[in-house]
Amino acid sequence: MGRYILKRFIISLFTVLVLVTTVFILVRLMPGDPFTSEKMTPEIKANMMAYYGFDKPLYVQYFHYIGNLLRGDLGLSLKYSNRSVNTILAQTFPVSADLGIRSIVLATILGLFLGIMAALNNGKFFDYFCVFIAIVGVSVPDFINGSLLQYIFGLKLKMFPIARWEGFRYTVLPVFALSLYTLAVITRTMRASMLEVINQDYIMTAQAKGLSSWQIITRHQLRNAILPVVTILGPITAGILTGTFVIEQIYAIPGMGRFYVSGINDLDYSMILGMTVFYGVFLVAANFIVDVIYGLVDPRIRISGK
Amino acid sequence: MKKKLVSILALLMVILMAGTAFVGCGSKNSAEKGNTESASKSQVLTFAQTAEIPSLDPQLMNSMQSAEVANAIFEGLVRLHDGKVQPGMAEKWDISSDGKTYTFHLRDAKWSDGQPVTAYNFEYGIRRLLNPKTSSPYAFAGYCILNGYEYNSGKITDVNQLGVKAIDEKTLEIKLTNPAAYFLGYLSLACFMPTREDIVEKYGNNFALEAENNVYNGPFILKEWKHESGVTLEKNPDYWNKDAIKLDKVNILQITDPNTALSMYENGELDFVSIPNALWDKYKDNPKVKLIMNGAVDWLRLNLNAPGKPWLANEDFRKALNYAINREEYVNTATKGLYLPYTRLVLPMVAGAKGGKYTEECPIDIYPKTGDAAKAKEYLAKAMSALNIKDPKDITLELKFSDSAADKALAEVLQDQLTRNLGIAVTIKLVTYKQKLADDTAKQYDAVYNGWMPDYDDPMTYLELFESNNSQNSTGWSNAEFDKLIEAARTEADAVKRQQYFWDAEKILVEECPFVPLQCRQVGYLEKDNLKGMSRYFIGSDLDFVFAYFE
Repeated sequence: MGRYILKRFIISLFTVLVLVTTVFILVRLMPGDPFTSEKMTPEIKANMMAYYGFDKPLYVQYFHYIGNLLRGDLGLSLKYSNRSVNTILAQTFPVSADLGIRSIVLATILGLFLGIMAALNNGKFFDYFCVFIAIVGVSVPDFINGSLLQYIFGLKLKMFPIARWEGFRYTVLPVFALSLYTLAVITRTMRASMLEVINQDYIMTAQAKGLSSWQIITRHQLRNAILPVVTILGPITAGILTGTFVIEQIYAIPGMGRFYVSGINDLDYSMILGMTVFYGVFLVAANFIVDVIYGLVDPRIRISGK
Repeated sequence: MKKKLVSILALLMVILMAGTAFVGCGSKNSAEKGNTESASKSQVLTFAQTAEIPSLDPQLMNSMQSAEVANAIFEGLVRLHDGKVQPGMAEKWDISSDGKTYTFHLRDAKWSDGQPVTAYNFEYGIRRLLNPKTSSPYAFAGYCILNGYEYNSGKITDVNQLGVKAIDEKTLEIKLTNPAAYFLGYLSLACFMPTREDIVEKYGNNFALEAENNVYNGPFILKEWKHESGVTLEKNPDYWNKDAIKLDKVNILQITDPNTALSMYENGELDFVSIPNALWDKYKDNPKVKLIMNGAVDWLRLNLNAPGKPWLANEDFRKALNYAINREEYVNTATKGLYLPYTRLVLPMVAGAKGGKYTEECPIDIYPKTGDAAKAKEYLAKAMSALNIKDPKDITLELKFSDSAADKALAEVLQDQLTRNLGIAVTIKLVTYKQKLADDTAKQYDAVYNGWMPDYDDPMTYLELFESNNSQNSTGWSNAEFDKLIEAARTEADAVKRQQYFWDAEKILVEECPFVPLQCRQVGYLEKDNLKGMSRYFIGSDLDFVFAYFE
């Protein structure tokens, strides 16, 4: 088991390094440069290039960046004068994570519940109802359901604030809007995997042993059916915790999601790299944890992993 | 089994509904409370900005969001309000007879930490702006100061040669390279705000990054800066002119989505709001909507040296383009009448030398706003025979725009009009904003869409863009007579003569047209009826709420 974890860990580290290097090269290939603006003059641009060290050869900049990265320093933002990417992430990530955790918890609880209920009521009205919710949740994009919820419950019914992030009441609409997609995915996955488990022989054995239906569901069906949900939860969690552009924008939430887009529009190299590293590490870590959990839960994976 | 499940389901539903209803009630109560609260303390202004303020370091500021806040928390030598220069930290000033030396006499004023505002603070600020190590994106604003350009570009390194000098605590002398009538108003730009050397040294790289990392001398004090969320300003009790300031508090919220801001305005949470261009159609007949020209003029820049496209170097062809466009129809189709058709370079609001507006005192009316298809064809025929081209379809032209939906709409109308009226082959190329700027600088375009926001109230801010050696002039167009007139205007102290130079120069430019002027931009906004004293101006801080109040 120890060897398995170590191997996974080294692969994860290597993945992050490849990611950083690729993005480092890719951002430099994008047309334009961070300081180009309508009023820029060549002299001022030269001053700014020198200030940020962009006048040095690219490989020097690369090793400089990797060196700083190993010390945990993501560099200065090019757009937000003198603010470090570390500071910006430290200020915005907690907000995104707060929103994300709430959404994940809501989506997981509701999604598992709906998925299980749908499977147990297979082919009946409630099943169709859950499938309908799942289809709507997957197919309606965030910017539609986010705006719609804001319009109906914020502007028209005035039940919740329209936007901003000032307390519990402010979280309800964005959390719900953000969880809809995840909820739908979990509902679908759980329903499908429950349906598969229900038809397994060991369920019949359990029934023959005379266990109550509640015991069968909790002990045998759920435990086996939940594995695929664990798998998808890893990357979904990483994605949602590190900020979502659309929902944060619609609800004016001071999270980090905006930088995925604005970083690129502004060609803010350090911001793009910082976001990539942060998200990459998160994603790799989430997958690493899922791998380890899998190894613990399912011996077959542990053996083939060798 | 089934019974149990149904009952669990029912129970969950009830809990969910009860929860929603409970939260619903709670919200209603506090919403009401919020409304009465805002009614009682009425001198609180709340509005939205669309992005995080990139910087509040006076010498590093480079954005509208920064300028709007800087105008309130700092005060320069003068204050520009509604386009009029008022005394600021300087009580009075003398201008030498050659118009090149300004001597400012400062009033007794205090920083928010109780220290006096001195001439040394201004001297330090301007030196810092032009120090190449500061890497200020706005350093060009100081190029009009004697040796400003030379010091910033590293041609001289002795800061004492810079044309700014504190004679004593209360007297500041600024020497200019050339006389500049606009210079006083120019001094209200954020980059000329006084700066405390001890504070900059104390905080180092963290200077002005948080509300508590700087001191303020303006009508308001920056009380709180919640990054990505907004800033809170409070009235400065020590401001020298505090009786003129009515607002107690200003909340500037960061609301990136303009539709959200609009909803918040309709909900009474904001005191004014801009109308997103995309929703202009819906609001244009609303009698409460107000319009303002924000100072931007847009045009197509033509690359006279575009490889393989000799027609762009042909003046008749460029004239044909200018005549072929029906600007009236263009703005009505692409912007639903939000933008105004325009056929010259200098903005209509720029002040004239005789007390009126420059464009009224110096009219130029070559290309009709509704276009002239017959004249366009005539010029095209001339160009084709000169270039020995038989079929207009052999003439290709690529319009380069940035990849926003709004820009695309503009490009499509132009493409349609040019194809229809000239029969030439026009294509559209959409690129990212940064790529557009890069291609513009690298002269890789046929026709690129861009514009200009003025830095000061003078035709020079537009006309010098087309000087042969100006880094902005990527067209390859060069006219010795034009250059001579601009240079003459630069050193001329007599305002009327100077204006004549500008007029002659602009006539040459519009006649030879290395560009296709298109429009002046307008912005629509909604504002609460009882909010008075707001000023919206086309230069510097577009939005000036310093003297605003609620009735």
